[in-house]
Amino acid sequence: MAANPNNNRSDHDSDNNNNNNNNTRLYNPYQNFEVPIKSQYLYKLPTSPEYLFAEESLKQRRSWGENLTFYTGTAYLGGSVSGAAVGIFSGVKNFESGDTTKLKINRILNSSGHTGRTWGNRVGIVGLMYAGIESGVVAVMDRDDVWTSVVAGLGTGAVFRAARGVRSAAVAGALGGLAAGAVVAGKQVVKRYVPI
Amino acid sequence: METQKKAREHNLRRIVDDIGGAFGMGAIGGSVVHFIKGTQSSPNGRRFVGGAQAVSMNAPRIGGSFAVFGGLFSAFDYTMVYIRKKEDPWNSIVAGAATGGFLSMRQGLAAASRSALMGGLLLALIKGVH
Repeated sequence: MAANPNNNRSDHDSDNNNNNNNNTRLYNPYQNFEVPIKSQYLYKLPTSPEYLFAEESLKQRRSWGENLTFYTGTAYLGGSVSGAAVGIFSGVKNFESGDTTKLKINRILNSSGHTGRTWGNRVGIVGLMYAGIESGVVAVMDRDDVWTSVVAGLGTGAVFRAARGVRSAAVAGALGGLAAGAVVAGKQVVKRYVPI
Repeated sequence: METQKKAREHNLRRIVDDIGGAFGMGAIGGSVVHFIKGTQSSPNGRRFVGGAQAVSMNAPRIGGSFAVFGGLFSAFDYTMVYIRKKEDPWNSIVAGAATGGFLSMRQGLAAASRSALMGGLLLALIKGVH
């Protein structure tokens, strides 16, 4: 989640100087405990995430862990769902005449489950590699633009097909880099031209 | 304490994050284990290739099963929080039991109950340490 750096700069001069803006919340230290103390809302805490260093609060970027889990999760889910859909179609296609309903359902479940699982696993691995490489490139190069995505796509394609030989890895890497670049460029085009 | 932890709201995106995290843990852990197994059971000179092949055959599958477990657990947890409207360790324990039972549903009631019990105990241990 992006940080909210708007109000953090004034806070680094003095420790408790939060009262200028209304981005504070009242905090009662005893609110989660049941103690026989008549406590009240004593403190005003900032509602935005608190950072120790000003430069860290300015970065509006996901952390590498969030990047990793989000990309892997969406990749796995997307792959599973599309695999299951394809599996349902192929299961329906394999119906034989004289199948009972139970048998039909079993067929559909088996094929959709199998295809969903394999696709989900493969796309999940691709997502994991892509997220890992992109986070690594961003951490090393300290920039986050189209080229990090392209390099991450290159790397993912190359590693994915590394077992099949150098030439296959190079081709897959090029395809991956192109795909990543296309996705990023497409996202920018959509943001600019499509009214949502 | 509230001030020390960055609050993670319970929303749907967190389920996706949990699925991704579980998949990553399964895939990477499975990769390590199967790489070692593959290198050990390959002839000399082809050890690395053997390890890499074992990884490429097994790691996606293990990642997938972890992801299914993590995803189901996270979905049940979210449902429990939504129903009860408070955050407790009990949500996670019941969610763990439900996941265990759900995954063994096809083997019949006895196996499902046993898996549910194990899942609940496992999460009780995890949450108890917390």
